Amino acid sequence: MILEQLINGITLGSIYAIVALGYTLVFGVLDILNMAHGEIFMFGAFMGVLVTNTLKLPLIVAFLVAIGVTAILGFLLETLALRPLRGKKGVSHLAPLISTIGVSIFLENLAHHFFGAGNHPFRTSFSEMSFQIGTVTVYAVQIVIFVIAVLLMVGLSFWLSKTKAGKALRACAESLEAASILGVNTKKMITTTVIIASVMGGIAGVLVGMAFNSVSPQMGLSMGLKGLAIIILGGMGNVKGAMAGGLILGLAETLVVVFGESGYRDAIAFALIIIILLVRPQGLFGKASEARR
Amino acid sequence: MLAELINPYYLQVLSFILINIILGVSIYITLSTGQLSLGHAGFMGIGAYASAILTLDYHMPLVVGIVVGAILAGIVGLCIGIPTLRLQGVYLAIATLGFGEVIRVLFINLEGLTKGAVGISSIPHIGRELVKGLQDFGFKASMIGLKNNQLISLSVFLLLLIITLLIIAFFIRQTNSRVGRAFAAIKMDERAAEAMGVNITYYKVLAFAQGAMVAGFAGALFAHVTAYISPADFSYHRAVEILIFAIFGGSEVIWGPIFGAAFLTAMPEILREVNEYRYMIYGVLLVVMMAFRPQGLIDTQMIYKLKQRRKKKGVS
Repeated sequence: MILEQLINGITLGSIYAIVALGYTLVFGVLDILNMAHGEIFMFGAFMGVLVTNTLKLPLIVAFLVAIGVTAILGFLLETLALRPLRGKKGVSHLAPLISTIGVSIFLENLAHHFFGAGNHPFRTSFSEMSFQIGTVTVYAVQIVIFVIAVLLMVGLSFWLSKTKAGKALRACAESLEAASILGVNTKKMITTTVIIASVMGGIAGVLVGMAFNSVSPQMGLSMGLKGLAIIILGGMGNVKGAMAGGLILGLAETLVVVFGESGYRDAIAFALIIIILLVRPQGLFGKASEARR
Repeated sequence: MLAELINPYYLQVLSFILINIILGVSIYITLSTGQLSLGHAGFMGIGAYASAILTLDYHMPLVVGIVVGAILAGIVGLCIGIPTLRLQGVYLAIATLGFGEVIRVLFINLEGLTKGAVGISSIPHIGRELVKGLQDFGFKASMIGLKNNQLISLSVFLLLLIITLLIIAFFIRQTNSRVGRAFAAIKMDERAAEAMGVNITYYKVLAFAQGAMVAGFAGALFAHVTAYISPADFSYHRAVEILIFAIFGGSEVIWGPIFGAAFLTAMPEILREVNEYRYMIYGVLLVVMMAFRPQGLIDTQMIYKLKQRRKKKGVS
């Protein structure tokens, strides 16, 4: 029983980690909290529903469509909502936050309009498939989710640490100005970052649809807040912190359900936000000076 | 003649506009020290629930319920404001966003007290109580040629109008006082303000608690005007709606959020088709405002120009 819950927690946590990675990438490079990330994630999930349920196409197509659509959304987010504010004089640091809140509320209600308010089921050919290992039941979906999540995280880590583009991105995260002096095309890098972050959100959306078998326009907000909680927990802009934070939150939520307080499950993330910000604003893995701005 | 003009529906819309103006003022106070709060929906909910529960379950008079609701929201604001002082900008916004959601989850889960997600219904209505009070004095709706429900709506509207005007007057006075100048100094540059001897801790917490209290007050009024509240009334959407009053109208002068609240509440009523797309329009508005006019439609310069024009007219 407890082992099954642990597996649930790790599955959930790995999805959370991917969502949080999207936040952390954008924050690392732009110092912006992308409040629209949750809604982009939700659009990814809906693309999954649309492709597998309505069009009856295989899951891999769902992933491709979700990636395509969220990449476009990311590009639009950057060009329409973020770029006009950049480098403008007299714009407070709250402006991008408010602007992305605008995008988030727009996207949520757009989805509301297109898909209706209710929950949509998300069925895959292997939804019901499960294995019996000893006394523990493991669902195939969980394994698929976990594998994809780990692949994504390993891929992203490799890309960030080894490739030229990844190094350029990390240079941008250190300092946009210095990076541009050293010949990094920062404008292109920023767009790339936002698109990659959005695509990670989209993939996470499809994964969540698979895991919970239900998708609704409201899921973006709660997942967005959880992503925020995770990056605050793991340290803003910290890639490894986001992964660890995701797993911690996933496990904590499933444990609360085990102890029978399922109504407060969603409150954990928000309570975490407040506590961590008050007690250790730099996050569990952050450096002391980073968060104090 | 008068009886035909008074349409309860229009009066109700006007009452909601007034409540939203109070909410707009509440976010303006917090913003006037440069603090962005996304927890005002939570404070509003605290005021609404406190007042509803006090009047329904403990049979307190409405006035007591509303005042206690506002004070409770203020105290919670104080408790949130002091520890979050060390947070700035986006961190404060996130912390207050988290706070708002915790409050909402509490409303849903404390079923014994709040009736959970269903919400509280048949809360004592301000207008009915007022009219009942008037009737005790021997005053009847028919005496001025009105129907009973017209008098109810009219009394709600007039009461809210008086309250709103008092609140606006109070905060205009405050803006021009030592407190208001301290707020403005903190918003411009916190460190410089501190160097000039402004006690920034005191004033920031004051602004935050004042904002929370006014929001709680508006929430309590809201509960007694609609007679029904549920946790969904105080969600993230409400917080964004309150924020957009100030962002759209302008957060530099108090007239900004007042205009924003009035315009954005009236717009869906006048243009019916707009209502369905309301939140989509809000979203677009936020993005567009940030890109082209981050200070909002009405800013200090505009007020200054208006004053100049009035002066010129006075001379010639």
